[in-house]
Amino acid sequence: MAELTIERKTPNVATPTKSRSLWQRTLRYKESYLLILPTFVLILIFNYYPALSALYHSFFEWNGANVNKFTGLTNFITMTQDAILWQSFGNLLKLTVVAVAISLTFPLGAAALIFHLRDLKFAYFYRVLFVVPIVVPSLVVLMIWRFIYSPNLGLLNEILKAISLETWTRPWLGDFNLALYAIMFIGFPWVAGIGTLIYLAGFQGIPAELLDSAAIDGANTWQRFLSVELPLVLSQIKLVVILTIIASIQSFGTILVMTNGGPGTNTMVPGLFLYRNAMQYNKMGYACAIGTVLFAVTLVLTYLNTRYLKSSVEFSGA
Amino acid sequence: MSRTFKHDFPLHLVLGLLAIFTFYPFIFMVITSFKTSPQFIHDFWGIAWPPTLANYRDAWSRVNGYLFNSIIVSGVSMVGVLIIASISGFVFARFNFPGRELFFFAILALLMIPSVLTLVPAFLLVKDLGLINTYWALILPYIAGGQIFAIFILRSFIAGLPEELFEAARLDGASTLQAFRSIVLPLSKPILVTIAVMNVLGTWNDYIWPLVTIPDSKLWTISVGIVTFGSTLRGLESWGPMFAGFVIASVPMIILFVFTMRYFIAGLTSGAIKA
Repeated sequence: MAELTIERKTPNVATPTKSRSLWQRTLRYKESYLLILPTFVLILIFNYYPALSALYHSFFEWNGANVNKFTGLTNFITMTQDAILWQSFGNLLKLTVVAVAISLTFPLGAAALIFHLRDLKFAYFYRVLFVVPIVVPSLVVLMIWRFIYSPNLGLLNEILKAISLETWTRPWLGDFNLALYAIMFIGFPWVAGIGTLIYLAGFQGIPAELLDSAAIDGANTWQRFLSVELPLVLSQIKLVVILTIIASIQSFGTILVMTNGGPGTNTMVPGLFLYRNAMQYNKMGYACAIGTVLFAVTLVLTYLNTRYLKSSVEFSGA
Repeated sequence: MSRTFKHDFPLHLVLGLLAIFTFYPFIFMVITSFKTSPQFIHDFWGIAWPPTLANYRDAWSRVNGYLFNSIIVSGVSMVGVLIIASISGFVFARFNFPGRELFFFAILALLMIPSVLTLVPAFLLVKDLGLINTYWALILPYIAGGQIFAIFILRSFIAGLPEELFEAARLDGASTLQAFRSIVLPLSKPILVTIAVMNVLGTWNDYIWPLVTIPDSKLWTISVGIVTFGSTLRGLESWGPMFAGFVIASVPMIILFVFTMRYFIAGLTSGAIKA
């Protein structure tokens, strides 16, 4: 039986390869392929096939069963005239901008505060403290926020009543103008989670000499933060921003559970619209077309982010 | 000690405030879970005594099925990902074969594809495979998807292991399998734990995919089930049991984190972030 030996990492050194027969060499490669076969079977079936099928069916009128008619660019043209889709992209833009702004401020600020604590015991305490809420399942968090926004006996309205602002009480998720903002506000104060942890790791990675030399040069805490600490966590910032954007483009579970796109279509987002077209109207082809557009948007943004990221990393490395 | 505290006081003030805002809803949830409905309606804010444990019995009878399903799905998926990804990561890191870089890229490229794109065809595929209303409808795609990031991380990590270890093993006449078992696996433990926890978190919290592929309420995972549970109990104005159910739904994750917190934070803040 051909023994599969571990390949050396420096193939220029004389290897046993040359002394082995062609058969044994092929057999060795065959074992590599066999070992990664489970991986590829799974991704071909459950990842590549659906992705290609989605791109393919964007050009069809498809109901998932018997109707499968090639219609070229019809779906895409329909998309440009679909008022609800335009509204959903508008909502998505607003939600994404706010989400990015939040991800750049609250977790970053909290991480900076923790980083500046002199007592390391407390620093560790806060670090663990803000990771703890991850244990609560995300749907439970949404259910809690649904309770917070509840018109009767909801936490927010009760707080307003308690501080004599009863006129401010609202059916938050049912208000045509406020529902989208209510969705944006979910997660306040946005400090718990891995965002804070990522930023904190970034701060802790700053070489102490840089901070010390800035202090010696007479920079106060705030100046140090702006000119030394902040630029050196730029790569973490880029990471959090791109993750936030990609997550925002795809996610619609929150909206589905909180408002189902309502009231009316005021909280509709493209992902949810895709879902509704597929699951309710059986317009699978149209849904795939929407998915293709979202995919294109994600690709463009990721490409832009990678290009931009390279230059800022080079800057902070100097 | 008090001098650092005086210096840090403004920091503590803000961080403390953030902590209060973060945790208050959860504290409220726990307090209310021990109230009867009349107690809640008449006294929104206070603590009820004695605590009503019946709420938890009621909630448990409704959600334990969902928890069981989630544990099975997330558990099996996690094991599947760990096994397949560590083998593939090992192969990509240490073996040289034609097309290796191409195959690796083919795996990574999938990270670009948003889940919304594949949702519809994947659903139809699972339907055609006859897997609707089975655990496999969830487990197989979870392993297929979860392994991608895991392979990426593990290949990096294994490729970084010192060559001398493998040299020594080869000189001792160890086979590939032995080297994998006695060198790679023990050294990868922290990273495997991090991958496992991230995987369980992702599958535990997944909502849309189980919603779409599992119509049978007996097989619902906790994320799907808790929504119906919440709506039903809100309609019944059973606030106490509703919150009790939310608390119960959090317990498995709490247990997981208690055991893995150190590994998880260490794994996140170390090499994985720099990637």
